[in-house]
Amino acid sequence: MSAIPYAATEVPEVLVQRQTRSGRIAMTLAVLAMIGVAAMPWWASTGTIRSVLVLCCYIAVAQMWNLLAGYAGLVSVGQHAFMGAAGYALFVLAQTYGINPFVAVFLSLLVPTALAVPIYLLLHRLDGPYFSIGTWVVAEVFRLTASNLPLVNSGAGMSLRVMKDYSAFERNVAMSLLCAGMLLVTLGGSYWLLRSRFGLALIAMRDNPVAAASQGVNVVKLRFLIYVASAVGCGLAGAIYFMAQLRITPGSAFDPMWANVAIFIVMVGGIGSIEGVLIGSLIFFIADRWFGEYGATYFVVLGLMTLMVALYARTGIWGLISKRWDAPWFPIRRKLVDPKH
Amino acid sequence: MTAVLSTHGLLARYGDFQALYGVDIELHQGEAVALIGANGAGKSTLLRSIMGLLPVGREMVLLHGEPVGGTATDRMVQKGVAIVPEGRRLFTGMSVEDNLRVAIDQAARMGAKGGWTLPRLHQLFPILKEKARTQVQSLSGGQQQMVAIGRALLCQPRVLLCDEISLGLAPKVIREIYAALPEIRATGTAMIVVEQDVGLARTASDRLYCMLEGRVTLTGRSAEITREQIGKAYFGAGHGVV
Repeated sequence: MSAIPYAATEVPEVLVQRQTRSGRIAMTLAVLAMIGVAAMPWWASTGTIRSVLVLCCYIAVAQMWNLLAGYAGLVSVGQHAFMGAAGYALFVLAQTYGINPFVAVFLSLLVPTALAVPIYLLLHRLDGPYFSIGTWVVAEVFRLTASNLPLVNSGAGMSLRVMKDYSAFERNVAMSLLCAGMLLVTLGGSYWLLRSRFGLALIAMRDNPVAAASQGVNVVKLRFLIYVASAVGCGLAGAIYFMAQLRITPGSAFDPMWANVAIFIVMVGGIGSIEGVLIGSLIFFIADRWFGEYGATYFVVLGLMTLMVALYARTGIWGLISKRWDAPWFPIRRKLVDPKH
Repeated sequence: MTAVLSTHGLLARYGDFQALYGVDIELHQGEAVALIGANGAGKSTLLRSIMGLLPVGREMVLLHGEPVGGTATDRMVQKGVAIVPEGRRLFTGMSVEDNLRVAIDQAARMGAKGGWTLPRLHQLFPILKEKARTQVQSLSGGQQQMVAIGRALLCQPRVLLCDEISLGLAPKVIREIYAALPEIRATGTAMIVVEQDVGLARTASDRLYCMLEGRVTLTGRSAEITREQIGKAYFGAGHGVV
């Protein structure tokens, strides 16, 4: 669909066009990439599947943070709380209660959903940095709880031994399908949301929450829904990631590294855009693979990179690109066109 | 006649600072009321309090006799109150059309009924049709103000709150914008107009309230209030009610 009638009773001579040539090309490539990810067991090694899975988790977590910070204006530094919670839920359901681990991945999402509701109700009264600190504190509380909870084997952590029941190929197929599904839900879902009626309200909320409320946008409700959706998205990434790791401990489950990664990806790639998340994820993934061995120096370079972007290019790499070329990969803007021309 | 909107002993604070001290105002159907006063008198705070942008007591604001003080801003819009905020507060990442579309979408979602449509708005401000595809950031101040007013009208309000709509605009543009107000009133929409220019406020309103340091110091029919009375109430040399 390239053009839809725009309020035909109001402005009959105008059409709204939302798809662009660059968008159509990007959509085709995205579908091909998604099929490629889903079909990995037939063309990629187990090592490659593991690497792609990590990249998909980066993309998913970063896009969830992007929705939170880039549109809802909620700067959370504790989204890893939901990754760990879903990861642990998966291990308990599959290992302790014997539920099929591939079914448990989806059931485990009930935990971040159920936790996100009271946590948001508790934190939403906090403003700006206080909200951020609150989210970090919540993640720490989760880590301490897991460290002392016998149900999850306390600080010793858990192993997903039930995965031995499946062959390496079966595991690879499941992981690949889960990765493709995760991208579809987090990236595709975000794209759908931004193109829907809520999208304009979300962008309005990002631009000016007070003005958005003054136009009737229910900012409180929208922020709540985004927070819960983001928790579920992070939970999905956490469940899939730890399923692939086959082991979970409080330290790895509630590792603030995930929050740092999400912030780096979104800041460097470009906040408030899906394209920015893809660019930032690729940069981080490649940097992590090539320069990870340099340890502290590598982190200093990543930190400096984030600082430079924050100081001199706040819209990130995608912002710089889109300033030069108006060719969005995931167009959400409504372009009004005259059908006579 | 029951007021469309009224405040009763309205108190508002910014933390420890008390900005309004028991403000009483009334607005009737189709009426235009001007709020004048020096900077810091509490005019914008009064509008923000009505709009639910500041916490106030429930009984302190009545809409058609119903207590609505402290109601969330989006609910106030749903109840038929819209604001043209000070500084316009447009969605800077969007085009003119999308700024207006936000209001249209929300009004549709809320089931708001009214006579304001895009073509009608384009009749009121033809430049908005011409500039429909333009990013709002590249518009002039006057054009941006027209978008802000248009956006508020598309919420289908019965009460429109206009906060300093002439601020920073050239006299010719101000005249253009104020020329549109009678047409808005003709639809039955009641208006509160916060204005620094006393002359403009008097000509554009039926009644006016003068505020000083969070209190109403003068009220009466705009045509009957003298400049001397306004001067005293505005600068605090004495209080008066006409």
